[in-house]
Amino acid sequence: MIGSGRKRLLIALAFLLPNLIGFLLFTAGPVVFSLYMSLTDWQLTKHNQYSTESVKFIGFENYARLLWGDESHLFWDYFYNTVFLMIAIPVSIAGSLLLAVWINSKATPQKPKSKMKWGMIGLACSVAACLGAWVLASPSAAQDVMSTRSGMTDLTEYQVQAMQRNGLVLFVGIVGAVITAGLFVGQMFFRAAFYLPTLLAGVAMFLLWKTLYRPRGGLINSVLDPILGGIERVVVNTPAVIWYGTGILLALATLAFIGRSMMAGLSRYKAKETGGFALFGRAFILATVGISALGMSLVLVQLPEKSLLPSGYESFDQATILAIGDELKGVEGVDAAEVDLIVNALGEGASRADTLSALLSDPVLAQNRASVLEAVDQRSERVRRGLTAGHETERGGLQPPDWLLSSRWAKPALVMMGIWLAIGGGNMLLYLAGLSNIPQSLYEAAAIDGATGWQRFINVTWPQLAPTTFFIVIMSTIGGLQGGFEQALVMTEGKADTIVLTYYLYNLAFTDDFQLGLASAVAWVMFAMIFAMTAFNFRFGSRLTNE
Amino acid sequence: MAQVTLRDVKKVYDGKVVAVRDVNLTIGDGEFLVLVGPSGCGKSTTLRMIAGLEAITEGTISIGDRVVNDVHPKDRDIAMVFQNYALYPHMSVEKNMAFGLQLRRLPREEIKRRVTETAGLLGIGELLNRRPKQLSGGQRQRVALGRAIVRDASVFLFDEPLSNLDAKLRVTTRTEIKKLHKRLRTTTVYVTHDQEEAMTLGDRIVVMSAGRGVGVIEQVDTPLNVYRYPKNRFVGAFLGRTPMNFFDGRLVEAEGEVWFVAGPEDAPSIRLAMLPKHTEALRGRVGAEVTLGLRPSSLSEHPMGKETAAHSTIRSQVQVVEPLGKNIDVSCELLDGSPMLARIDARHDFPTSGEVKFYVDMEHVHLFEPGEFGASLLHPEGAPQNETATLASDA
Amino acid sequence: MSDRSPIESATGPLAKLARPLTFVALVLLGISFVVPFVWQVLISLSDRSEVDRLTETGFPSRISLDAYVRVFDQVPFAKYFFNSFFVAGWVTLLQVITCSMAAYAFSRIQWPGRDKVFLLYLGTLMVPGVVLMVPNFVVILGLGMFDDYTGLIIPAAFSAYGTFLLRQFMLTIPSSLDEAAAIDGAGHWRIFTQVILPLARPGLIVLAIFAFLFNYNSFFWPLILTQSENLRVLPVGLLQFNTTYGSDVPAIMAAALMAMIPPIMLFLLLQKYLVKGIQLGAVKG
Repeated sequence: MIGSGRKRLLIALAFLLPNLIGFLLFTAGPVVFSLYMSLTDWQLTKHNQYSTESVKFIGFENYARLLWGDESHLFWDYFYNTVFLMIAIPVSIAGSLLLAVWINSKATPQKPKSKMKWGMIGLACSVAACLGAWVLASPSAAQDVMSTRSGMTDLTEYQVQAMQRNGLVLFVGIVGAVITAGLFVGQMFFRAAFYLPTLLAGVAMFLLWKTLYRPRGGLINSVLDPILGGIERVVVNTPAVIWYGTGILLALATLAFIGRSMMAGLSRYKAKETGGFALFGRAFILATVGISALGMSLVLVQLPEKSLLPSGYESFDQATILAIGDELKGVEGVDAAEVDLIVNALGEGASRADTLSALLSDPVLAQNRASVLEAVDQRSERVRRGLTAGHETERGGLQPPDWLLSSRWAKPALVMMGIWLAIGGGNMLLYLAGLSNIPQSLYEAAAIDGATGWQRFINVTWPQLAPTTFFIVIMSTIGGLQGGFEQALVMTEGKADTIVLTYYLYNLAFTDDFQLGLASAVAWVMFAMIFAMTAFNFRFGSRLTNE
Repeated sequence: MAQVTLRDVKKVYDGKVVAVRDVNLTIGDGEFLVLVGPSGCGKSTTLRMIAGLEAITEGTISIGDRVVNDVHPKDRDIAMVFQNYALYPHMSVEKNMAFGLQLRRLPREEIKRRVTETAGLLGIGELLNRRPKQLSGGQRQRVALGRAIVRDASVFLFDEPLSNLDAKLRVTTRTEIKKLHKRLRTTTVYVTHDQEEAMTLGDRIVVMSAGRGVGVIEQVDTPLNVYRYPKNRFVGAFLGRTPMNFFDGRLVEAEGEVWFVAGPEDAPSIRLAMLPKHTEALRGRVGAEVTLGLRPSSLSEHPMGKETAAHSTIRSQVQVVEPLGKNIDVSCELLDGSPMLARIDARHDFPTSGEVKFYVDMEHVHLFEPGEFGASLLHPEGAPQNETATLASDA
Repeated sequence: MSDRSPIESATGPLAKLARPLTFVALVLLGISFVVPFVWQVLISLSDRSEVDRLTETGFPSRISLDAYVRVFDQVPFAKYFFNSFFVAGWVTLLQVITCSMAAYAFSRIQWPGRDKVFLLYLGTLMVPGVVLMVPNFVVILGLGMFDDYTGLIIPAAFSAYGTFLLRQFMLTIPSSLDEAAAIDGAGHWRIFTQVILPLARPGLIVLAIFAFLFNYNSFFWPLILTQSENLRVLPVGLLQFNTTYGSDVPAIMAAALMAMIPPIMLFLLLQKYLVKGIQLGAVKG
């Protein structure tokens, strides 16, 4: 090297200095400082320039408070929430791998002929859907009638249909556009589309998802609602014995499959043939599928009982009954006092039938049968849809959840969003890079050896990607334990049991009492956890990568 | 123009690993000196010390009259061509060549003139506006040469500049470098691991080795002298297009002559009488273990001089015959099974098996002490004085 | 590309369907990734009263840009934009400068203690960000940078990660180039500016994209370090807007959409660098 060691040191320092100052001041220094703070009772509201009280060194007291002292129930609750949200990590990693394999699989039609074919399919779909939309919205008898649908009283039925047509055309347009882009831009398009959420992850994205998760008027529930309604109808109309039967049959079939795979795997293992492991893997996957199928069928069997049909299905609470009364009072020729009398006679939880018969027993109201029916039906529809009742327990049947408003569903909602956000992000790009680095000759050798697609994945792709997976798992766990703060702050404001450890730290340090000491201790406990997890990953994971 | 002198130069890395030591060299003004040796022998380190890219642990290096140990490379008045050419990828060919001149604040017209002139000299005038990426390997090599020449430095340093070229291009470029040197007469130090390149290019060559754990100079002389009079077995083995044959044996005195004998006493695989002019020198070593070195080209089917069958033949079994055009290579096996390669004039009817008798050109056999670095017994100091003088005069 | 080799050709009836099915799956997934954004656009173009029934109609009865107007009427949204660009821009510029210089010192100069200092840098990469939150807050308070642009810019202007990234990048540049430049007569500063920086350009762009996107989306630090309205960056401004005008869903969506546009533009322009950068950063964990 040129120049003497001393001179080189000086030159290097000159280059390094701007960064080094910042590094020492805002990274290395604070790490040490933080460790010290975690051992003190530093609280900004007590120790500041206006107070003479000095910061006390209290040893490990903060840690004791967190882990088993007076703060421990909060800390462990929040820890549970954090870990719950980390469910998204393995799922999204698996998803990233799947997406990468799919994108990489040259699934996009390559031959001009099949490109044409797919293009035609896309075009035909679009044309058919457009025509359908047109027919749907063609002038009908209803065109001049004011819409009776809830919340659309200012629009005519014709206008509503025109809007629906536009919506449908737009959706078909999206489908067509995605097919076309997939056909002609291929890999690049899917890569970019899947990366979009990661690119935009931040407050703006969380606000969008908050809107999507709105229990009513949110896109997600409006898609779920008809699906759940359909399932419910099928389940309610099917005798329970069929569900029991299907569940038991599925379970038996699964057991048989598992047994067969295990036996085959065992005999291969005994014969020291390769492929035994893959068979075990298949047995494991089948077991998972079978057990979840069994569980699903058991849940479905419960449904008719849980469903409030037939009696409770349309039972009204007191407020609803009063609302029905109010509505009827508006009908011309109806005596308000009479209505009040009938309505007050009806008790909490009266069914639709009870209500109707009570109201129609009144001669005046019976004359306005249509109005009564409409009032009751509209209310019962709203009750079913949960529009008047606030909480899901009062709704009957299979209802989409309240997501962010409910303590039970807020975390799953965040997990689902987390998966959507991460699945096509950096991890997928890393897997794509990893895939393109696998020498083609390995696949060729495996194919000549007679490996099927799945065997090629297990024996070539997966082991070759092991280092990538290792890296991704480590980075994701580190990020996951610290994550969840922004989502919770923006989407639930910490309500519905969504506070995670970072949020807790934020609350301790930057709101309320500015308990800097305790907050630092939280940070270091988190560091210790991250360290332990990473060490575990290294111990366990590096063995996998070495194989 | 300058003379480069290295005095007791030693390089130690990290305070422990000795890369080279005891390097003493004087490169005359205008001389083309080639450092050659296997990888790890310290030839590149030596060159980089001359360039100023590595610090010198001990000893001195001077260029001209100036000791340059602590002089920055840019102030040593040298130019260097790197193995990977080290062309700046983001600059055009012209900019690459002009960069050093611009840094030396030469006037713009002067730079332009020199670049154009050098480009013309090397036939790369058309490429001046291209980027290195757009050039072929050979063109890049020329640009790298051009960048060195344009600087008009007093010493040129080449670090394996041909090793990234294919075999054919290497030969033509080699000739071109030699022509250029003849024209420019700039003091040149050239590093290569290829003995053929060394032989063809150098006025003198320096054979280095790392055999004893440290890079040292084994022999310095003109190419032909090193080839003819290797000081030790390593040099003999390293130079030459085909590897030298070595046979372990012993010296025996009989019939007033000293013989080299290999194999059992009753049925020796080799029994050669050394020339009378060496008898005096070898008599003291009779009975000692020695190694015989025989170049494949020193073997022939017919006597080349005054050899007689009894004194200078080796019998062998032919294994493989490889025609090469003017010559054929014959791989054969001696009585005791040791392999031998002979390169003889080509002829169609050479037997592809069976026994063949080869005559040995006893003027050109070598005797070494045992071991990889065994010293030569016949000419331990290299070429005889008178021969060096004659060869040096026509250099 | 028109013909598949026998090795790629399908064998069973199921395998024959694998490719079309995969394509269908990709298309469906693609739709699910695009729809939320289209939905967002639709909401932002709707009237406030129509938001709740948009799921039934699928389209607003009247397209209007009122929501966008309301965003700018109700909050200084243009100021938020300016702040975000101002802060992210400065941070990016400073990071590129400080990190490239440090990376040069770590990758191209041999100096005693180099590897130890670099190890220290690497070590802090392992330290989770949460550990730095509290002490950095105190440091910034102490330096008088609270509620000031400097507090948002200066602490973010140095990055151990960026140094690491650029060092990795510079290590791929052959050292003979510096040596050639040194013989040509260049000093370290000139080698840095005229040889290494131009060659490290892809790496610099990668770092610049990362730094810009990260700081553009950065939420936590601006949230705790600023109080004044005129220092609010986009994410904080969006949150405040949501808190205050949460019921105006079209305006919220309009604001969120506008905030998403710069990253999308950046991504479309510099996609290949970004992809390369993510992969480079993972080369050595």
